[in-house]
Amino acid sequence: MKEHARYFWAYLPALGAFGCAVGTLSADRNLSGITLVLWGVWSLVVTFFVVRTILQERSKDEFTTRQLLQAQKMATIGEMASGIAHEVNNPLAVIGREVEWIQELLKESPPPDPQAQREIQESLHVITAQVTRCADITHRLLDFARMNKPVLQWVDLNNLIEEMVRLVERVTKTKTVTFERHYHDNLAPVWTDPPLLRQVVLNLLNNAVQAIDREGTVTVSTRDDAKGWVDIAIADTGCGIAPHHLPHLFDPFFSTKAPGKGTGLGLAVCQKIVTALGGLILVDSKEGCGSQFTVRLPRRPIETRKTFE
Amino acid sequence: MASPTARILLVDDEERFRTTMGKLLRKRGFAVEEAGSAHEALVRVQQGDVDVIVLDVKMPGMDGIQALAKIKTLDPLPEVIILTGHANVDAAVEIMRLGGYEYLLKPCPIDDLVVKIEGALEKKKAREKVLRA
Repeated sequence: MKEHARYFWAYLPALGAFGCAVGTLSADRNLSGITLVLWGVWSLVVTFFVVRTILQERSKDEFTTRQLLQAQKMATIGEMASGIAHEVNNPLAVIGREVEWIQELLKESPPPDPQAQREIQESLHVITAQVTRCADITHRLLDFARMNKPVLQWVDLNNLIEEMVRLVERVTKTKTVTFERHYHDNLAPVWTDPPLLRQVVLNLLNNAVQAIDREGTVTVSTRDDAKGWVDIAIADTGCGIAPHHLPHLFDPFFSTKAPGKGTGLGLAVCQKIVTALGGLILVDSKEGCGSQFTVRLPRRPIETRKTFE
Repeated sequence: MASPTARILLVDDEERFRTTMGKLLRKRGFAVEEAGSAHEALVRVQQGDVDVIVLDVKMPGMDGIQALAKIKTLDPLPEVIILTGHANVDAAVEIMRLGGYEYLLKPCPIDDLVVKIEGALEKKKAREKVLRA
């Protein structure tokens, strides 16, 4: 209703008609007064629907503009990122080699002080670990920038998801996380790219587990409520997302995790993949109560329908 | 440990990386030669007697993939291991198509490289046996 208020001028004719009607009725000229009332009601209804259509179109426009901007942002960042990642990889490789050489030298002629030797070894281990961490980031960046074109095939979603859930279940040892499954029985197969989709599901599951502090539940469900679409929902009872973080959720390098725990690329990659698969990701979150990420995939992406049928 | 006569040619434009890798490989009993560019490498390959070539993909001038193709036309015998900054299916397919032995993700631990070099040596020996027979 608030939005309609912005279009108050469109309602002026209707209100004018009512005004005249009141005028004529009070002047006791019955017939034309009723006509005017009817005219007023009619133009009120027409204006309401016209304004509603305009508003819907505008929000649709805004949505596509936002999506377009996001896609452009991704492309630019992707290009920059792959350049930087390649440049950073070389010095990383040099550092790694030098560490290995120092370790080699230490093995041959260890320093006399055992304490010093231990500390040097420890430092070298830290350097190696940090180089590995950086390499992980650069490789993820390159993955992000150069995602291969999806290779589509018929996939049993429940199966694919269950594999990933089991994987995450196995590695989640430090917390008490209950995994609940609500798979839709007889879910029809989906025409999609299994490795890419696995990456998405794994990423979302990892996020869900990481959002849980010590104890909680991760609920995984599949649905096919909307015709031609399949939903994969992954919900957790974790920390939730602060409302002011929501607009940046899918931005590359945006992360609220502790340093070293996340690269800020997980959700960006997920979105990129899901978009390439013709779907979208819906987010529903309440700070302190948990979040739900829903991946909505077309049973069959539109491009392939054009090509193959 | 590989046989002491195994000759490795390292090709990388990053000098410090190349020399340190050379030192590490020599420690493990390989005879190591170095080349700072694809052209230098081609000159060396023409002289013959190289068992395994470790080739960086990103080099100014001629890149590793082009160099691989040229090397294989000059002398198909040496096995080539490619060091790349990124795992990429297309590049991997291209490398295999051109007759490369294997590719490794940079940065990689020297031990991984040694394993690959030994594998390459074995493959080369097997091929030479077939050629002689």
